[in-house]
Amino acid sequence: MMLRRLVLGVLLAVGIHSTYAQSNPNDVKTFTLPNGMKFLVLEDHSIPTANMYLFWKVGARNEVHGITGLSHFFEHMMFNGSRNYGPKQFDRVMEANGGSNNAYTTENVTVYTDWFQKDALETIFKLESDRIANLSIDSAMVESERGVVLSERSTGLENSNYRVISEVVKSVAFQEHPYMFPVIGFESDIKSWTQQDLENYFKTYYSPNNATVVVVGDVTVDQVRRLANQYMAPIPARGLPPKVRTVEPEQNGERRVTTYKDITTPNLMLAYHTPETGHADYYALDLLSSLLTSGNSSRLVKSLVMDTTIAARIFTNFPEGFDPNLFYIYAIAGDGVSAPELEKAILAQLDKVIKEGVTDTELQKVKNQKLMEFYRTMETINGKANSLGTYEVFFGDYRKLYEAPKLYEKVTPADIQRVAAKYFTERNRTVGYLLPEKGK
Amino acid sequence: MKHIFLALLGLLTLSVQAQNNFKVPKYEKFKLKNGLTVYLMEQHEVPLINVSAVFDAGSIHDGEKYGLASLTADALTFGTQKYTKEQIEEITDYVGANLNTGAGKESANIGMSFAVKDQDKMLDILQQVLMYPVFNETEYAKHKQRTLLELTQQKESPRAVIGNYFNQLVFDKHPYATPSGGTRPTVEKIGTADVKEFYRTNYTTDRAAIAVVGDFNTAAMKKKITSMFGGWKTAPGRMIKRSAPDLSFDKSRVLLVNKGDARETTFLIGGRGVDYNNPDYVPILVVNTILGGRFTSWLNDALRVNSGLTYGAGSRFSRLKHGGTFYISTFTKNSTTVPAIDMALGVLDSLHRTGLNEEILASAKAYVKGDFPPEYESAGALARLLTDMFIYGFDESYINTFQSKVDGLTVAQANDIIKRYFPREHLQFVLIGKADEIRDQVKKYGAVTERDIKEPGF
Repeated sequence: MMLRRLVLGVLLAVGIHSTYAQSNPNDVKTFTLPNGMKFLVLEDHSIPTANMYLFWKVGARNEVHGITGLSHFFEHMMFNGSRNYGPKQFDRVMEANGGSNNAYTTENVTVYTDWFQKDALETIFKLESDRIANLSIDSAMVESERGVVLSERSTGLENSNYRVISEVVKSVAFQEHPYMFPVIGFESDIKSWTQQDLENYFKTYYSPNNATVVVVGDVTVDQVRRLANQYMAPIPARGLPPKVRTVEPEQNGERRVTTYKDITTPNLMLAYHTPETGHADYYALDLLSSLLTSGNSSRLVKSLVMDTTIAARIFTNFPEGFDPNLFYIYAIAGDGVSAPELEKAILAQLDKVIKEGVTDTELQKVKNQKLMEFYRTMETINGKANSLGTYEVFFGDYRKLYEAPKLYEKVTPADIQRVAAKYFTERNRTVGYLLPEKGK
Repeated sequence: MKHIFLALLGLLTLSVQAQNNFKVPKYEKFKLKNGLTVYLMEQHEVPLINVSAVFDAGSIHDGEKYGLASLTADALTFGTQKYTKEQIEEITDYVGANLNTGAGKESANIGMSFAVKDQDKMLDILQQVLMYPVFNETEYAKHKQRTLLELTQQKESPRAVIGNYFNQLVFDKHPYATPSGGTRPTVEKIGTADVKEFYRTNYTTDRAAIAVVGDFNTAAMKKKITSMFGGWKTAPGRMIKRSAPDLSFDKSRVLLVNKGDARETTFLIGGRGVDYNNPDYVPILVVNTILGGRFTSWLNDALRVNSGLTYGAGSRFSRLKHGGTFYISTFTKNSTTVPAIDMALGVLDSLHRTGLNEEILASAKAYVKGDFPPEYESAGALARLLTDMFIYGFDESYINTFQSKVDGLTVAQANDIIKRYFPREHLQFVLIGKADEIRDQVKKYGAVTERDIKEPGF
């Protein structure tokens, strides 16, 4: 995920529901404008603030060689001027009205997030609708923004070994599908995309029928509907973007990749192909991810970081995907531990799950954790907006957010064992090593 | 640049005046007989309870043993009279609760979040962790080994360590100078005996507070907390008189930290800031918003938006109880290090030379007011607010008068704030980057001291 600006602790948690959570699916009101732009609105009057999250179905998976990183670059350009608000005005008007914003781009989506005091709702609609209807791509702004994104790429690689290793692992795990591209893009592409590329991208992907807008906070559904009709409805719909055609074929053999950096101990990444987010195995895999690395009592953290000092740190990442994506396991070796030793220790734990399964208690633990994650997410208006939008676009219906408990609850120890055996295979595996520079 | 910026701002609609004034929700504060301060605040939005506990046991008490406060806080969960470390983690994870312990410069902090239905179980763990830790030797040894490795590994990220270098440079002999996380040589020498003694001396009820915020009934929780902690007997707290750090510099200095494989230079430029309770903090915050506290700030506008030199640039006042710092922070590729520093200095200078006008001040006021309520939206944030009040010695009037202080700020006052509080000369620089490529060029900023990032400590 690439952010428009540097912040800590962006919430991307997707939660589940229980019978005693405060909001329920009927509190969320939805409507779709004639141009296809869909709205989800949840009133929440706990603080005098509201937000607007705009989910666009465009991300790195829509890119090809030559324009890698363009989705993310475009996210930046959306702040750089439109017909009624010249360069810099989007931010200046928003901030002068007590609002602030950010945006993020992933392999699948580009999401724009606005936070504001409730009285600024109309201003936000004016700003958002103007850039969706009449974005102007100013060539001077393109050039300075190019420098910004090159700096963003560079600072990521400078400060995060995870970035370094995940980029090379992705590029090998995917041989055909565009999930192989880093969201930030290749350096040479960042330096060379053109005005025409940007204009085409806007026309192709920023049609109102490719967006879902979520508004949560101290506003009313009627206000949102009236302003949506006034500001968003007049924007003409274009055709829906072309489908991503490329399908990654089944991996038929382990792939290995190594890279070097001036680091202290080896970093390791394992990546396994897994199905798209809407797939029936999603819930079992998501719980498996928690079983492995959520909390100090989880399988991998306990065995490799707490009971022994084989690893300094370990975590899993199971990102969303409209298309089949990867299940990542990332670890940093402990002092004096080699990459092959670390790899062996992780694989032994995975094998244990495959051979012996997990206990009912262990599974109940991660189901309980999911419920708590849900509460923590639903405590803030930003958590609510992000979860509703994420479920709507990835699961096809925000109501799935509220149905998730049943679906998580249905997962059995046998399901966990089955998905572990099905996906954690040698042939389906990519192993990445990030090693200390030789001779150092 | 700035001239154009101000002209553009004149076109804006500054319509947001009637905002709801955010106030601290109702809470009850009382003291147990042993001196422990307790805050209780009901919040019923979700069925969760949050706890924040603080002790006057921060790294300011480390002495020569840098990292001692931090290791002690970490080790609170390494077994208690009733539970092993493993049992604490099993119980906590099973109910999806969070339990975090840590120490900063001023205090040690214990945070918890759990479901209402699990409160007896989790409050029992809280009581055990605070009152009966045993500091298990085996667990401590493993943790120390991990910590030593982390201290080396954190230097792989300039952003993770630059603040430590800066504090060392500007606070110098004051206890604020030392890194809370310790250094390899100091942590090597700290054992469980040190940790136990630090606990005995500094985790005292009369210099501690517990805030509980969430979905409970105040009377019932008061009874519960009183029975849990009312009988806790600790050593008497030590009242150590701390002096304010001397941050008056008579010359500029540059600490150049070589990172041989750096692809960019990460830097902080700053000097004296203000202490936590400075009465002018709200106006300072508003002015800093304009300089470097938001996306359209002058620093970000110059270094990012106009020139594409960086992904982000900003400035802040970092406040501690007895003093604080001001710094500008950003990063840029090796070859544009000097242009970026020059530009940042130019922006700071223009703040002094040109000052502020009505439009920009109005915009900043609206922004900080809008930013304020979401900061205290969650029960966890409110719990930390209450214990911050205890540690830093302020009360809810800071929150409740925030908006009126913002609204009342005039241009003349804001320009006076710039003169009084924003450093202008004798600036202190920390640059982490490839020394060979920038060494000669950065001499112009002040006397250069050079270190390698791989040397232990800061």
